[in-house]
Amino acid sequence: MDWQALILSLQLAAVTLLVLLPAGLWLGRWLAYTQVAGKSFIEAVVVLPLVLPPTVLGYYLLVSMGGASPLGAWVQQTFGVRLSFNFLGLLIASIIFNIPFLVQPVQRAFEAIPRQLGEAAAVSGLSTWQTFWRVELPLAWPGVLSACVLTFVHTLGEFGVVLMVGGSIPGETKTIAISIYDRVQSFDLAGANQMSLLLLLFSLGAVGASFFASARLAVRR
Amino acid sequence: MTGPDLKNSLALVFDIDQTLPMPLQGSLRCEAGELLALVGPSGAGKTSLMRVLAGLMRPERGRVAVGGELWCDTAQGIFMPAQRRHVGLVFQNYALMPHLDALGNVALSLLHLPHAERIKQARYWLDHVELSADHQARRPSTLSGGQQQRVAVARALAREPKLLLLDEPFSAVDQMNRQGLYRLLADLRRELAIPIVLVTHDLNEARMLADRLAVMDVGQVLQQGTPAHIHNAPRNARVAELVGIQNCFRGEWLGPAAAPGKGMLRWTGPGATAAGAPVLTVRDKGKVPTGQAVNWVIPSDGITLVDTAAQGETDFNAEVVEARHLGEITLATLSLTAVPGARLVLTLSGAQRRWLAAAARVGVRLDPAMVHVMPLRTTSRHR
Repeated sequence: MDWQALILSLQLAAVTLLVLLPAGLWLGRWLAYTQVAGKSFIEAVVVLPLVLPPTVLGYYLLVSMGGASPLGAWVQQTFGVRLSFNFLGLLIASIIFNIPFLVQPVQRAFEAIPRQLGEAAAVSGLSTWQTFWRVELPLAWPGVLSACVLTFVHTLGEFGVVLMVGGSIPGETKTIAISIYDRVQSFDLAGANQMSLLLLLFSLGAVGASFFASARLAVRR
Repeated sequence: MTGPDLKNSLALVFDIDQTLPMPLQGSLRCEAGELLALVGPSGAGKTSLMRVLAGLMRPERGRVAVGGELWCDTAQGIFMPAQRRHVGLVFQNYALMPHLDALGNVALSLLHLPHAERIKQARYWLDHVELSADHQARRPSTLSGGQQQRVAVARALAREPKLLLLDEPFSAVDQMNRQGLYRLLADLRRELAIPIVLVTHDLNEARMLADRLAVMDVGQVLQQGTPAHIHNAPRNARVAELVGIQNCFRGEWLGPAAAPGKGMLRWTGPGATAAGAPVLTVRDKGKVPTGQAVNWVIPSDGITLVDTAAQGETDFNAEVVEARHLGEITLATLSLTAVPGARLVLTLSGAQRRWLAAAARVGVRLDPAMVHVMPLRTTSRHR
């Protein structure tokens, strides 16, 4: 059992969610309400990480953020940090890769709120911020919750992008999915089995719990 | 519409002229303590007008002033958003927050108060609309339509509105519960000294509740006035139709009659020649030029059925085309011998309706004092 890899994966998933949640809430809500021209294009860009092979996405991230790229070189010169083959690079890749997993369910959840409730809130004197906290978020909560669980679990299990951007540096970029792959490569099937089973059970438990909670919340309306 | 009048009174003064995204034209005034009903078919623009008043929609060109406050004036670039207007709006399907109980819904209008005071006030308003303490702790989905409506009214009142807007508030409430809600509305009117605007497509409801009506069609306010005034003197045939006046006919204005204050109206039917058409002597307000084609109406109060034996020389010969006996009333359609194609529709109750049957012959007496003549619209009123 590679505890270091498991802890790293959990850390990556938690930080990814922490960074992505506020931004995803904002973007999902905006997409739900906006009628801006080019909305379909923005939605397509948001979904792109879902349909691209992880290796393709990882390749582009590596090319655009690696030490040889203008962005990577500039960040290294200015801040003295690399954007590839370390935790930061992995985090950025993970955030980008998870955008559709968070934004799409959030968008659907906000779209499902009847327009009139927002108008009723406005007429009742609520500011946009108050409406968000007191009306929209409580109503969108089941959707937001499942989006968070999906993002978290998905990050735990991500393989292709991690391999492309992070490599396999223990304690830095070697996540549990990479560790499982390494074990299989070195014919340690028992170790691979242990970790795979843990990941399977955790994922199943988390998604199951979120579905159960969403259903409960939805009934309470 | 302007000047001190606007600044000093609590009235709603409103003027709008827009063509996009949908046409919306007219000006209205509703005094404090007065109930103005916006009536018209669906798609007439009633709800859009209400949204403009509430600040949920910005008009292309227009002005809204309430209680001396300018809420919107596109000419000056003023538009106060809904959050800052003290307007109570009862939505058609109430738009209550499904995740909050009745008390929480009302308390939402009181966020400016500290928590304890907010709950106390919310309770006060819910008690005021007679919602029991048990129901106050329930979510909207477990309340009946009438109870939900009371919550919506309490929420609107808790805002301490300067203008109360009711958008088809009774449409989702069954007939029995409506009576109680009509009483509630009547009580509110007495105690609130603010303008109240009611949107409805139900004319009976409008006549019963409103001091004044504004008749709307295709985005235009066609006429406003007391229910009795609009009923007796609709501005044009469309208004007559919208307020449910069934007896609307064509005619030609022949100019003043011999008697002072009277004029002559030739009653022309769809297939009639001018020669044989009867001429009525009716009130003349001096507004219609001689020779003008007109529409004219007569309310059912002005129509009397007489026995053919007792018929006078100004009475008309008629034949019953159809008589439908519906419980306590009878709907009768009559054709007139002198005016081919003209159909007179009557709702009758009482003994005289019993001998009405298809093909029966009757005499019809029209009260000329109740005839209202309207020039035919030849040009569009669009500005």
